[in-house]
Amino acid sequence: MIDSAVFILIGLAVGPLLGGLVSGLDRILTARLQSRIGPPLWQPFYDVIKLWSKEKTAVNVWQAFCVYCYVAATSIALVLFFLRSDLLLILFIQAVGAVFLAVGALSSTSPFSQVGAHRELLQILSYEPLLILVTIGVFLETGSFKIERIYNWNEPLLMKLPFLFVVLGYTLLIKLRKSPFDLSTSHHAHQELVKGLLTDYSGSFLALTEIGHWYEVVLLLGLCSLFWATNWIGMIVIVVMTYLIEVLIDNVSARLNWRWMLGYVWAMGLTLSMVNLIWLYTS
Amino acid sequence: MVEAMPTVELISTLLIILPFLAAIACYLIRGSGIRSIVVLTTGGVLITSAVLLIALTPFSLSPQPFRGVSIHVMVQTLDFLLLLIVMYFGFKNRHNAIKGLAFFQIIFLLYFEFFLFKDKQDTSTLYCDHLTLVMVLIVSIVGALICFQAIPYMKSHEEHLRLKKTRQDRFFFVMMLFLGAMNGLVLSNDMLIFYFFFELTTLCSFLLIAHDGTKQALKSAVRALWMNSLGGAAFIVALVGIYRETGTLELQRIILSGDIGAGVFLLSLALLCFAAFIKSAQFPFQSWLLGAMVAPTPVSALLHSSTMVNVGVYLVLRLAPAINGTFLSQCVALFGAFTFLSAAALAVGQSNGKKVLAYSTISNLGLIFACAGLNTPESIVAGMLLLVFHPIIKALLFLCVGAIEQHIASRDIEDMRGLYADMPLTALMTVMGVIMMIMPPFGILLGKWMAIEAAARNLYVIIMVALGSALTVMYWARWAGTLMSDPFAGRFKPERQPFLTWEALGSLCAGAGLLSTAAPWLYTHMIVPTLSRAYPPPYTTQNGILENPYGVFAVFPLSLVAALGFVVAIWAVKKAARARVVRPYLSGVQTAESGVFTGPMNQLVKAEARNYYLSSIFGEKKLTTWINLGAGVLLTLMVGGTL
Repeated sequence: MIDSAVFILIGLAVGPLLGGLVSGLDRILTARLQSRIGPPLWQPFYDVIKLWSKEKTAVNVWQAFCVYCYVAATSIALVLFFLRSDLLLILFIQAVGAVFLAVGALSSTSPFSQVGAHRELLQILSYEPLLILVTIGVFLETGSFKIERIYNWNEPLLMKLPFLFVVLGYTLLIKLRKSPFDLSTSHHAHQELVKGLLTDYSGSFLALTEIGHWYEVVLLLGLCSLFWATNWIGMIVIVVMTYLIEVLIDNVSARLNWRWMLGYVWAMGLTLSMVNLIWLYTS
Repeated sequence: MVEAMPTVELISTLLIILPFLAAIACYLIRGSGIRSIVVLTTGGVLITSAVLLIALTPFSLSPQPFRGVSIHVMVQTLDFLLLLIVMYFGFKNRHNAIKGLAFFQIIFLLYFEFFLFKDKQDTSTLYCDHLTLVMVLIVSIVGALICFQAIPYMKSHEEHLRLKKTRQDRFFFVMMLFLGAMNGLVLSNDMLIFYFFFELTTLCSFLLIAHDGTKQALKSAVRALWMNSLGGAAFIVALVGIYRETGTLELQRIILSGDIGAGVFLLSLALLCFAAFIKSAQFPFQSWLLGAMVAPTPVSALLHSSTMVNVGVYLVLRLAPAINGTFLSQCVALFGAFTFLSAAALAVGQSNGKKVLAYSTISNLGLIFACAGLNTPESIVAGMLLLVFHPIIKALLFLCVGAIEQHIASRDIEDMRGLYADMPLTALMTVMGVIMMIMPPFGILLGKWMAIEAAARNLYVIIMVALGSALTVMYWARWAGTLMSDPFAGRFKPERQPFLTWEALGSLCAGAGLLSTAAPWLYTHMIVPTLSRAYPPPYTTQNGILENPYGVFAVFPLSLVAALGFVVAIWAVKKAARARVVRPYLSGVQTAESGVFTGPMNQLVKAEARNYYLSSIFGEKKLTTWINLGAGVLLTLMVGGTL
């Protein structure tokens, strides 16, 4: 009981803290890749604090509802991850958050929000099945959906699930809103869509979308860590390497359209998943 | 097992016979007030009887001959009568398929009754276990609520059509008849009686689709009739096959006969599955359900989402133990998953709200078929959970769309943009329905979670289910967002609706929510008792947490946290209502009017956005042919594979 309480608190605290730091590092790294110096490490936190202190304005009260549900769902998903609960259930709850963010954007009539929200739904459509298949792969190898069991598996999952790890990489790119998949919104304003999905979120609501996003980032990096869970060094190395590659891809590729995203991600993702899953079935 | 007690007989009679009497009363009574009272009373009695049935389950019953005429002979006579009525409609509408299929069924029935059947006295006519009970509860409670809502609905429906003479007598006659037929169907253990009620629901469906009498309604009704007659034909052939092989028509004995090796027996089961697929409007027979959407909304809610189409999945879930481990079972799983995926894809391409609901129904029923076909303890539990939750939530959504349609005179999702400003409570309940369709910790997602974990070892099924789930999220989320779109509304003021409408919507919405929280109870008290004969109970329940060796779903804790989150979010709404109202960003000089900005040359420009329906990918024109083809191949595989 005490253990659970500690894990819940850790989950709630680590999410924003680690997520914010990752975001800060990301910005510095991206700046260096583009021959800039970049902001200080703590900049994302400064941003959130500043947004929080702005005057409260709203285009639609239901946007407030949606953004709170988004943060609630993403934080519950991360807490369940720290409680080492059921992986599939965690994905479902994570999806709840993603859907609420899009519904919140749909509740504004601004065409920028609307189009952004629809693109976000298409992004969910692209990665959600793949995440489920990655989970299935993990289950076939370890015989369990419970994270507790997966962390105690005595062999790095990467050895048996290399292609599924690549698939997870795709979903990470989409979830982190990195090029070429930063369709719905991205860190910098879009040429054609302003801030897309987030256009009409403002002040503390915008700050909350940022915090919710941090929870999501930590959850996804946690998923990556499952692939080399035999020791701490392996876990850290795999997470750091994955993130570096994601940032690199972000910086060398251009944004593409949803048609391409859906086609490419489903075709590549499903093929890779199927091959990897068939290996697991036959072994 | 409770032996045939007077109470059991009384309750069964009330559940099956009373609606028939009420139907006749509805037809004869001219005054709408008295008719409403008859409907309300019947509904009340049905609900009470169904609840009382909980304490009496399980039981089996063989009613004594009534005035010297045995039940079998009565049903036999009614069967022929029914087929003759179907044939009459075939002639009236000059439809050769209906005529031919009715003739075919009569021939087979004659052959069966006079050359094959030997009357044995030891058959139990009615049988009720917890699966039956669940179905009776759904039919009686959801069915009654829908009939209640139909009273104000049909009143304004007829006002809208400007009818000179009311046709509500006919309408409620068929609705009541249908409730009795459904209860009879799920309670019957004798397959011949099952078959009679199966055909009776087909006939009711035909009459109700044709109710408005327009050209399109008649066309759709005829289509529904011939397709379901095909199902009936497959059913009667299957009965002949089963009787020849096993010498019994008792459902419970057929399930436990276990003689799977025999080709004819398995082929008969495959034909029963085929009949079930048609009843549940699976591809390539989806067109009858889509056409049925022309009927008044209570009909869509009652027959075409929550009860009649459930007969198919109920039958296959019943037969699941008999086909366990066969190629047929695998085919059912594959076919179900295929339907789940393709119906979800077609729903994405639709902007017509009722069509989205229809495709979603087909899709969810496909998922239940997939669960039955996977045939593991987990998947069967998943199938039963979906069987419970889907009808309740779908009925809610249909009734909401009905109320919306009467208000805005459109069923197009685009026209529902910003409906919250106009009909706040109905819009909110629709959104609640959507949330319960796609989000944990609600019942449907619990079922889906079990289904996915159970399907993990079947590559094709799991891929189709994973893709289908994502598509499902897409079309529901889009709809919910559209309803809440636009005007800033700080104050909540429910719109005016008849009491019976609020009562039906409110009960369904609250019922689905509470039942979701009570899912662990539902599992131990309703589902496990049904399972025990063929499957070991797969989950343990402790403190409201469902767990098996490889997965865990904490229903109570999650419901609690979700409720807490909901309260916080509502508090946030209250707070946001005091915030400064700003206009959505339009990339131009804002004006006082929402959605309009001052553009170049001081001209006012209206900014507008519409939903993505992706019809270039998910449109009916693009996909339907290929999906029908795929379904046809799978069906051929299924039936042919048993030979």
